[in-house]
Amino acid sequence: MGILGLVILGLVMGLVFGVALEKSRVMEPGIIVGQFQFRTFIMLKMFLTATATGLVVLAVLYGFGWVELGPKAMAVGPVLVGGLILGAGIALSGACPGTALAQAGAGYRDALFIIAGGVFGAMAYGYFKAEIDGLLAMGDYGKITLADVLPVPFWVLALAFAALLVAVIVALETWRPWRSEMGPGGTGVWDGEPGTGRAGKHPAGGTRPIEA
Amino acid sequence: MPTLTDRVWSPYLAGVIIGLLQIPAFLLADTALGASSSFVTAAGFLASTVDSGVAQIDYFVSHMTSGKYFWQSALVIGIAIGAFVSARASRSGRPSFSGAWTRLVGVRSFWARSAMAFAGGFVMLLGARIAGGCTSGHGISGMAQLAIGSFAAVAAMFAGGILVASLFRRA
Repeated sequence: MGILGLVILGLVMGLVFGVALEKSRVMEPGIIVGQFQFRTFIMLKMFLTATATGLVVLAVLYGFGWVELGPKAMAVGPVLVGGLILGAGIALSGACPGTALAQAGAGYRDALFIIAGGVFGAMAYGYFKAEIDGLLAMGDYGKITLADVLPVPFWVLALAFAALLVAVIVALETWRPWRSEMGPGGTGVWDGEPGTGRAGKHPAGGTRPIEA
Repeated sequence: MPTLTDRVWSPYLAGVIIGLLQIPAFLLADTALGASSSFVTAAGFLASTVDSGVAQIDYFVSHMTSGKYFWQSALVIGIAIGAFVSARASRSGRPSFSGAWTRLVGVRSFWARSAMAFAGGFVMLLGARIAGGCTSGHGISGMAQLAIGSFAAVAAMFAGGILVASLFRRA
């Protein structure tokens, strides 16, 4: 596919992605930080559902030999240190790299500064890649998947893991129905004093208008 | 039946939709869903306006010439447009920054929150590029490929997030 085709494809797919992020409120800072504070589980519910769906998709596409997988490397140093820094950044931003764009689109103007900071963060890594990678070079096991280390075909493992995730999702929803977790404005934030908001006390969550 | 004018959809519907996006990603774009590489593309083009040495840095050059990074850059722009359309269609206007921040860290001015947002964005993308992916690339896509490195990255990401969020007040 040519560059123009890829750009149009990306825009159309992004449009769908952005609608899903805004509607599910997984782009709300209150929902994202709320997940890290174990106040709301909306983000985990969406994340696990997307992963389970992707597992079924790839079990089929890769199982029939229609696509190649492109797993990222298991490099212990970069993955653990980078992951920790990334997580800290997500908490400070109240966004992930993708959801920062959704926040900006939905109207949160501070997200423009998350994006700008992100561009400079990526630039800093680009300029100091050799030094940073050298510092963290340890335990590189290459691009391995569970199917490489277990004597079971990818499609079997993928479907089994998807089934496990579905069980977790059902348990999460039984424990805390998603509508009770949204908060009055769908922002994952409750009225009253901070810290008093509890999921489950607001069954009408997400249906009242958002104060702008 | 969920519509564009709904204020909220279930996270499960959104998750299935996003998971299904892997089909065109793998079949047509020959890659998996991801977001953080596009920041390297933007950084490369921005840096190249003041630094001609960027053309000698392979990491920037590959992100400025490969079709899959143009696809991903278009994807994140599409995310902003999609969220705009969705918020407009459901009349879900947003203030300049989420009220969650006042509760979490006591910040009341837009500029104070914006400084925090800039720092957060910087740390976030630095970490994502060190790890080689973000919540999309390592999370949704890496785990769907059963990549062992991605399981480790997601665990570390949650650990870092939980640690910092524990320093905030509970909203």
